[in-house]
Amino acid sequence: MTKKTAVVICPGRGTYGKAELGYLQKYHKNKKHFLGQLDFFRAEKGQMSIQELDAFENFSIKDHIPGENSASLIYGCSYSDYLDINTDKFDIVAITGNSMGWYIAAACAGALDRGSAINIINTMGSSQKDGLIGGQIVYPVVNTDWTKSESLNEILETKLKSVNLIPDHEAYISIHFGGLKVIGGNDLALKWLLKNLPPEQDRYPFRLPGNAAFHTPLLKETSDHAKTIMGAELLSAPKIPLIDGTGKIWQPYSTRSEDIWDYTLGSQVYDTYDFSKSIEVAIKEFAPDHLIITGPGMTLGGAVAQSLIKNDYKGLKNKEDFKQIQIDNPYVLAMADPKQRQLVL
Amino acid sequence: MFDRAKVVNDNFCNFLNGHLELSKKNLTCSPLEKSSLSQNELVDLLETQMMSRLLDIKSRELRKTGKSFYTIASSGHEGLSVVGLVSRLSDMGFLHYRDCALVIQRSKKLPGTTILNDLLCSFGATVKDPISGGRHKVLGSKELFLPPQTSTIASHLPKAVGAALSISRSKDLGVESEMPGDAVVFCTFGDASLNHASSQTSLNCAHWISYQNIPLPLVFICEDNGIGISVPSPTEWVKNSQSKSHSIKYFECDGLDLVDTFNATNKAFAYAREWKKPAFLRIKTVRLLGHAGSDIETAYRSISQIELSEEQDPLLKSASIVLQNEILSHAEILNMYEQLKNRIDRIARDTIKHDILKSADQIMEPITPNIKMKSSLPTACEELRMKTFGSDWEQVKNVVHPMGRLINFALTDLMLQYPGTVVLGEDVAKKGGVYHITAKLEKRFGRKRVFNSLLDETSILGTAIGLAHNGLTPIPEIQFLAYIHNAQDQLRGEAATLSFFSNNQFTNGMVIRVAGLAYQKGFGGHYHNDNSIAIFRDLPGVTLACPSNGEDAVKMMRTCVKEAHEFGKVFVFLEPIALYPIRDLHDKGDNEWCTKYPMNTDERIEIGDFHVQGESRDLCIVSYGNGYFLSQQAKNILQSRYKINIKLIDLRWLTSINESALCAELEKSRRVLIVDECRRSGSLSEGIMAMMLDHCTTMPETKRLCGHDSYIPLGDAANLVLPQTEDIIDAVVQLLGRDHD
Repeated sequence: MTKKTAVVICPGRGTYGKAELGYLQKYHKNKKHFLGQLDFFRAEKGQMSIQELDAFENFSIKDHIPGENSASLIYGCSYSDYLDINTDKFDIVAITGNSMGWYIAAACAGALDRGSAINIINTMGSSQKDGLIGGQIVYPVVNTDWTKSESLNEILETKLKSVNLIPDHEAYISIHFGGLKVIGGNDLALKWLLKNLPPEQDRYPFRLPGNAAFHTPLLKETSDHAKTIMGAELLSAPKIPLIDGTGKIWQPYSTRSEDIWDYTLGSQVYDTYDFSKSIEVAIKEFAPDHLIITGPGMTLGGAVAQSLIKNDYKGLKNKEDFKQIQIDNPYVLAMADPKQRQLVL
Repeated sequence: MFDRAKVVNDNFCNFLNGHLELSKKNLTCSPLEKSSLSQNELVDLLETQMMSRLLDIKSRELRKTGKSFYTIASSGHEGLSVVGLVSRLSDMGFLHYRDCALVIQRSKKLPGTTILNDLLCSFGATVKDPISGGRHKVLGSKELFLPPQTSTIASHLPKAVGAALSISRSKDLGVESEMPGDAVVFCTFGDASLNHASSQTSLNCAHWISYQNIPLPLVFICEDNGIGISVPSPTEWVKNSQSKSHSIKYFECDGLDLVDTFNATNKAFAYAREWKKPAFLRIKTVRLLGHAGSDIETAYRSISQIELSEEQDPLLKSASIVLQNEILSHAEILNMYEQLKNRIDRIARDTIKHDILKSADQIMEPITPNIKMKSSLPTACEELRMKTFGSDWEQVKNVVHPMGRLINFALTDLMLQYPGTVVLGEDVAKKGGVYHITAKLEKRFGRKRVFNSLLDETSILGTAIGLAHNGLTPIPEIQFLAYIHNAQDQLRGEAATLSFFSNNQFTNGMVIRVAGLAYQKGFGGHYHNDNSIAIFRDLPGVTLACPSNGEDAVKMMRTCVKEAHEFGKVFVFLEPIALYPIRDLHDKGDNEWCTKYPMNTDERIEIGDFHVQGESRDLCIVSYGNGYFLSQQAKNILQSRYKINIKLIDLRWLTSINESALCAELEKSRRVLIVDECRRSGSLSEGIMAMMLDHCTTMPETKRLCGHDSYIPLGDAANLVLPQTEDIIDAVVQLLGRDHD
């Protein structure tokens, strides 16, 4: 059988929600060793076991949402999914991720060994437990059919300019997330934006619970601190090409560990994360047969599809087109989707 | 075995598999530990070289099935990747067609670029090609600050000089520019192209500028593969011809050795950047895969010669350096090569489709720059104008003047309004141009904005193009129409095509003033009275203006400078020399060919607007320049002598003619006389005849009165080959079937 090629995409924060409770139990009972390692590390820090968290009967905002737990939960699920990809069927040609998914992608690509990945993800996830620095809200720049909306984009840009003119208000584009923009800022700015951005598509704007203002200058100090406690030895050249949140490709044979460390704990933390660009680079520079999105959660699929539409990839013009190819011959394989998962195993 | 791409590929794989041993020469390389090139950078360069090579191979493969075009290769020149590494993204580069590796390496400085995809789109001429939109395979990129070049035979070197000159000049003028003050410009070309007139004049111009200690941070990079298509360069020709200049510092390196190339390139760029002086960097390369895809190399080189070049393959050497320094193993390098090959195969599968340009309109859309990139600028205030014109102010406001003087006033106002305008040419500074049209401009605006060039039209136009690349709006002067012919490639091949090949992303807006046409009294001779303008008329995207009087000249010049500034359009402003001083139309002292200067600088004549004077169902004369002036004289005589009333049309713009409007106006008359002072063959008159056939519902009876197909002789004899007032009168009388008195 000819192997298919795939780029793997790892999700970021906010992907382990109520619907994902029990994900590890459902799919990853056989990952005791890896999950045990992760929980052992957390136990030493006095943190709850993610296997226990996953086994909760009910989703708990108090326990599942905070970064110190959710980051590790997502890592546990995503990396476990990655281990499940059938490499006899798929040749993984590159890996990328969204936001915190960068750390997971780095782990999958071998730029972080498991221990280092646990350390970074847990440390960065827990860095805000004494109080979040700002937060993030979401607003669309596409219409409901996922075609580009110039007017929404203009509204957002205008409001962002306005809010930053108010003293003590600070907001930035935090993530280019397909057809959505994630805006990171301080509380004053986010409250103003939530009030002043016109309601759109029944749900926007809304605030992402438990998220700090990642990928904005507000996190510069967090980045500086992280660099003092985690050295460059944690990272190394990936074994598989990695695409970061600027679209840069980190190649196995030419990556310097100091450089990838500097990015991972530096500008990656406090500069805009361009997830859309990383998808563009994935499809244009690696031209895989499939994009595989690891779990948990299904929220990344929309942003990926919107990025494909933006690039007129495979002639996709709108949401309907995307849905159709997903029925005919799925291009994007989301491992959190039971049917699509089967195609990956 | 004639598939040399396969041979080269097999050689590399066999070497890495241990089936091919390299010659001792190929195993010898500069010590990495003595260079500032890091191990990671070395591997990164090797990866780029592989990408470039594999793209060449892929391109040839695709060509076999008609999916790729213009397969000129970079193979053997992959050492130029080092220039991509050493140059900064803010350094503007004008590239040779063998610089794929340079482009790839440069793209790595800008995360998020999709260079393999982009290059393959370009190979396949697909509309998704980000630089030319599927119009041509060009090495260029807006985001990588590489204005596109096509089949360059050094025609891009003159503008490199101009771009380098513009760096400090734009800062001196306080004008917003594309390049920062510490940028360097670089241009690459082959050893055979070095001999081209465009190269030689550029090197001379750079020398001339630098010799005067004018900042010129420029690196000329000669990719010396030792052969130009089939003609070998004499041994060490490049070194011997170029290493002795005192004003252009010479560097050289072995382009097959990445470490040596890195060391020398670093030095050359550092020199140009630090001292703001030109450098000449010779990078020795080899040419693999022949001149181009269609080249049958065996027709002029023996197999053993070809094999000798292939033994020197830079990829073999680069791999050898990596191995010798124990950075990667044979297997790892091979793995990298194979992974890249697969990757390029997949990208080609996805990109090379029949997603091509589908209509002439779509193809031509960017021919004339149509995106407003700069805002309109306000007119200078009255106080400033008054101060600038100084003692001329009263003359400007209150006195009638002939065309030459009015153009001078217009240029003064425009230079006030547009701080990015610069006037350059032979004698334009102190002397004020050969006909004093630029008189006092140097005094008014300083030597940084009004400066003499060396005596070379290629350099004048090339410099102007380069200045325009960095955001200035040049107004070069060509002293005489005949002089532009030796430099026409700069206009035809470079300035005119930039927006087309860059899909409107790069422009070089400028107004080329050309003093031209015939009828000069007392200053005869062909070169000063040339009347051939055919070279301007078949240039898509370039607008040719030709005013017949001072007021029109002012208003047309305003339109030209405004649109050159705002849209980046290219204009040729053809000024009839003979009319510069003309004050009278009919009688001595009537002052009818003089006007007052249009003080309101918003008064303009838009492109394509022609002038209609009078009404006549009987006959209409259509003309321009001197011909229009003479037709005006004829009109009066026809009226007084024959009681014949005629209509006159002054075209003003000799391209971008509003054909349907013009023909609608012409067919209002039963007869049309085209008075064209240029040669009968290839003149505008032919175009107007064709236009009328295309557009007129009822074709008027039409005759042409043109210059003869002759060169212009001296003295009064010139009048014998040019239309005269009496000739126009005769032609009208004949057309109307009237007898002479």
